[in-house]
Amino acid sequence: MSNRILSIITLFLTLGATTLSAQKELPEIPNAEIIKGTAFISYPSYSGAPFLNENFMMGEIELSDGTKVSNIGLRYSSYRDEVVYYNTFLSAQIVIDKISLKGFSFTDQKGVKRIFRHQHYDDHLNDERYFEVLSDGKISLLAFRKVNLEQCDPSYDIHGLAYKQTYYYYVYVADKGYSPLNITRNSLLSKLDKQNQKLAKRILRKHRLVFTDEASLVLAWNILKENGIVFNI
Amino acid sequence: MRRLIIVLLLFIAYNGKAQEKEHFSLFTDRDLYTTGETLLFKVFAPTDEQSGIVHIDLINTKGKIISGISKKITTHQADGFIDLPDSLSSGVYQLCTSTKTNSTLTVKELYICNRFSGLPESNSIVRLSESNRFVEKPVAGLQIDGLDKTYKKRGKVSFTVHVTSELLSQINENLFVSVAEIASGYTSGTYFKSRETEQNQIIEKDGVVLEGTVTDIKTGAPFKNGIVYLSIPDTFPRFKYYITRSDGRFNFQLDNYYGKIPVVIQGFDRDEKRLLKVVLNHHDSLAIGKPVFENSIRPTELRKSTQDNIDVITFRKIFNQQEITVISPPIKKTDAYPFYGVPTEIVDPQLFFDLPNFSEISRELMPGVKFSAINRIPTLQVFNPAIYNYFKGQPLVLLDGIPIHDLNVIKNMGSKEIDKIEICRSERYFGYLVFPGVVAIYSSKPDYSRLLESDDLIKLNLDAIQPDATLNSPLERRLNEMDLRQVLLWKPSQKPEQTIKLEFETSDIRGSFKLMIHGKTKDGSDFYKEQIFEVN
Repeated sequence: MSNRILSIITLFLTLGATTLSAQKELPEIPNAEIIKGTAFISYPSYSGAPFLNENFMMGEIELSDGTKVSNIGLRYSSYRDEVVYYNTFLSAQIVIDKISLKGFSFTDQKGVKRIFRHQHYDDHLNDERYFEVLSDGKISLLAFRKVNLEQCDPSYDIHGLAYKQTYYYYVYVADKGYSPLNITRNSLLSKLDKQNQKLAKRILRKHRLVFTDEASLVLAWNILKENGIVFNI
Repeated sequence: MRRLIIVLLLFIAYNGKAQEKEHFSLFTDRDLYTTGETLLFKVFAPTDEQSGIVHIDLINTKGKIISGISKKITTHQADGFIDLPDSLSSGVYQLCTSTKTNSTLTVKELYICNRFSGLPESNSIVRLSESNRFVEKPVAGLQIDGLDKTYKKRGKVSFTVHVTSELLSQINENLFVSVAEIASGYTSGTYFKSRETEQNQIIEKDGVVLEGTVTDIKTGAPFKNGIVYLSIPDTFPRFKYYITRSDGRFNFQLDNYYGKIPVVIQGFDRDEKRLLKVVLNHHDSLAIGKPVFENSIRPTELRKSTQDNIDVITFRKIFNQQEITVISPPIKKTDAYPFYGVPTEIVDPQLFFDLPNFSEISRELMPGVKFSAINRIPTLQVFNPAIYNYFKGQPLVLLDGIPIHDLNVIKNMGSKEIDKIEICRSERYFGYLVFPGVVAIYSSKPDYSRLLESDDLIKLNLDAIQPDATLNSPLERRLNEMDLRQVLLWKPSQKPEQTIKLEFETSDIRGSFKLMIHGKTKDGSDFYKEQIFEVN
């Protein structure tokens, strides 16, 4: 009996010691000391998902000066268009200053790497946004993953409000800007020269592509790119 | 047995050669100097040098560093200058190159004469007596054409340097070309010194590293988890911090800072229980021990050379003839926003009627900022809109970008003394630090004397990387003035080509001048070519 008590005490002491040392030591994440931001304030609880990834996923951020910080827990808030990181040392959720970031990336639960870029968006609000890069290059295919808090049927949420996805897609060229894109064949074809449109139609028909969702849009984009068709906005 | 000895000898020879090639090569414009003038130097770094910064220090006979500069190593080379202070006494000095990691130091002996006291009366002179001498080989692949044996004063000189294609393929980076007056009676030597470098040294890649230690004032022991702030006042102030480990040591890498920069370092206990002392590492010696000297008879020509030098320097000082022009360092890109975040509110007290102190300013102009004195101890709190209440702790209070803990520093500041106040109402995170709001005060006339130096606060003007400089050429408008340049040509980074055409103008100084061409091959060997000519 006394042996058991002794071993239990030893176990607790060992656990205590590791916990203490864990509290004292700074985590060895290179460059983590330069991440700046504000405390994350929880969003009101309604139906729907304000975050693109509810759980923190390990990812990497790139600061505006090119410094990279990797192996940090990130989640992207589509509702506020902000990236939240989990500071393990402070046990705090921190909204990273958007102005300080060039971009960020993380691997989602399906194992897909999601890459986001901080870009200026010229609209009447003249704001700064994070765009997900669906296809990169001189002409990029970007998605602005917006979630709005909208009125809904009380059967869906008793408060009558819910987070609803309103994703926007753009074809982006650095010196020309953004051109909105819908998930339709015609919208995609409108981003091509007339000469290329016929060829593109033939290629899409050959691959039997039906524009139903984002995945089909990206697939069509990539197929046309692989076939050497140049987009023009 | 014989084979073993041969192998051993070969091994020793190989090692010796390897060590010889892992050195910095150091050259100066001349060997004899007078206080008040500028010494020009050129350094070739070893190709495998890890450090991006080289330190050049002037050391006295006791081994103490008198002055020093830091230069960025670009394409395995660096060049710069050292202003020789008038406080130096006449005698032999050493110019030494060092980096944080290099264990072989290159030391060049120089003679500096004080321009007010002149040479000492004694007929003897102490000279460095070191055995490991820097050996440079004359090279056959360099040919100097068109340089005559004599020239007239203020005459134009042009010459050509021919480099053989074989040598051209061996030269590592640039050549160093200079033409300077020779001081009769004194020729210096260059030596190697080895030292033990500390393990786990921080490599200075793009800037100087500031190091120090935080100790507990009461116990004198190194303090763990102490927070050290480094602030650099600027348009957008810069800020860094360091959390000390068990040895109490801290370091800051100041990348791409040039010239003298004002720096404030503060250390404090996160729990505010203990008083701390911050000490910066001051290297007053390079830990190579006292140099070994030997007495020798002073050559008679040295007195004349030094006297001529003193006359030249005195004249140049009177007529403000600067030897070099410092090139403005590259402007450090300003941050997009202050380190404490984009302010939620900016208050300009000068737009309102005059308020006598900060308490009045906070009450009248800064809603959501509470400045009060409890038991005569001033406190400051910022309203947190997220919790509809004030933060419990004191926000980060900055005065001209420098964090302050004692609010007595700002309590008497009125509207006239404050240019603007920036407020961040949210809880701010900076790495592993948390600030319950930020109040950044910018004074009308930034005056760092408000911050009192104490055990935990150090103010200093840090010598960061020295900016580049060019040798001044004689100006037309000064043709009526005496031209007393002792260095006629200074091309520290001459691109090697098969034919290099160079020209310069002689000054009003009569005497012997030497054209020197130095370089380093890709395998680390040093080579030179020199030619002497007279100016009558």
